[in-house]
Amino acid sequence: MPGPFAGFKWLALVNDWSVFAEGFVQTILLSALGLTLALGLGIFFGLLGTSHVKLFKLLNRVYVEFIQNTPLVIQIFFLYHGLPHLGIMLPVFVVGVLGVGVYHGAYIAEVIRAGVESVPRGQLEAAYSQGFSYWGAMIHIVLPQAKRISYPPLTNQAVNLIKNTSVLAMVAGGELMYHADSWSSNNLYYGPSYVATGLLYLSLCFPLATFAKRMERKLEVSS
Amino acid sequence: MKKLYILILSLMMFIALAVSGCGSTTDSKPAAGGTGTAPEIKAIQDRGTLKVGVKVDVPKFGFKDPKTGQIDGFEIDLTRALAKKILGDEKKFEAQGVTAKTRGPLLDNGEVDLVIATFTITEERKQSYNFSDPYFTDGVALMVKKDSGITDLKGLADKTIGVAQSATSKKAIQEAADKEGIKVKFLEFGTYPEIKTALDSGRINCFSVDGAILYGYLDDTTVILNDRFTPQEYGVASKKANAGLAKTVNDTINDMKKSGELDKLMQKWGLK
Repeated sequence: MPGPFAGFKWLALVNDWSVFAEGFVQTILLSALGLTLALGLGIFFGLLGTSHVKLFKLLNRVYVEFIQNTPLVIQIFFLYHGLPHLGIMLPVFVVGVLGVGVYHGAYIAEVIRAGVESVPRGQLEAAYSQGFSYWGAMIHIVLPQAKRISYPPLTNQAVNLIKNTSVLAMVAGGELMYHADSWSSNNLYYGPSYVATGLLYLSLCFPLATFAKRMERKLEVSS
Repeated sequence: MKKLYILILSLMMFIALAVSGCGSTTDSKPAAGGTGTAPEIKAIQDRGTLKVGVKVDVPKFGFKDPKTGQIDGFEIDLTRALAKKILGDEKKFEAQGVTAKTRGPLLDNGEVDLVIATFTITEERKQSYNFSDPYFTDGVALMVKKDSGITDLKGLADKTIGVAQSATSKKAIQEAADKEGIKVKFLEFGTYPEIKTALDSGRINCFSVDGAILYGYLDDTTVILNDRFTPQEYGVASKKANAGLAKTVNDTINDMKKSGELDKLMQKWGLK
């Protein structure tokens, strides 16, 4: 039986499962580190965005607008092909963590800023009247409320981040998509390869998305 | 939640199987014997154009002139000869640019009838597609930066070699390296320009693909080494089910070999 989904192509896939496993592990590592970086950058720049200091606000805008309005592919290409011309040769794994981390950091910064700004101003003023400092009010009064609003969109960002690590396949990133491309293009058994790869991404993202939905319900953000 | 998860997984499996099932039933059967016209050839004649996947980034083989937008080369002339054979007019073909990665899928989904795009014949690939007898033989070559001082494969020990996805170069170089007793690393990229960019930026130490293709990327800073590895035989590929078309293509190519027409074409493009 010929065609892209022929039986012998599935058999070849099963025989070479370790190729996909290697990429899968790499994708998980990349996602975990990328997410940590994205969260760190996002919280930092998000809080800068809510500040009253003009310079902080400006920093937040420059970061968010610059990253959100250029494609991730271009950013990865710059890190991978561009920086070496300036004498900085980052290993491809670092390119990956930096790339998706900085990219999603910008989105997370917006999520955090929106979350904080959604807390009514009166809350902060009430906190001030009780003798809280700015940071005290932030940590004890505003952020706990902002957290509720921010959780579900944060989980969405995590899901997107996992999927976006696949962009690294374009620069020989060694993650799941690269291994799938590499394997399937050597033997041209692309049918089973991409179905299996899709399922592997699904197995990472679906539980996260489900978790987000459950949390939304629990936090009564949506009914 | 667990149930939903299992449901979705099984649904995806089902779709995959259904698609594969459809593939096998809709494939046309090859025409019986030599009498009459094979249905897939009839379909091409009814349509009036032969759809061919060609390279547009390999000078001398298939190259799209950025000034005129015209695609020309040795493989395009071969396409003309096949169009003449099947449709009686060498202009009745539609060329579509393909890469090493897209040529297989385009054949499978019927977007092109034939792929004539520096497609190396391998045993593994023969399981998926029909290949004609080889119309050209080339070797895998190595391109390095002039200032690297590398002169042969030995000089690439523990270095990184950039190859194209879907190319046979990786296997060929690996075998040669094993023979030499040296270790090399590989990085795979989707297109040739990406490999060249990686060579320029120093990500890789060597750009390796078939010699004829490599010459298209030669510039002042790079040099192509003299070594050639594992002969690469190029064939015209068609969908596995289109046996009638494969036979016509193969006959045409063998006729061109016998009549000396193929040699003439190679001379015309400076390939011999």
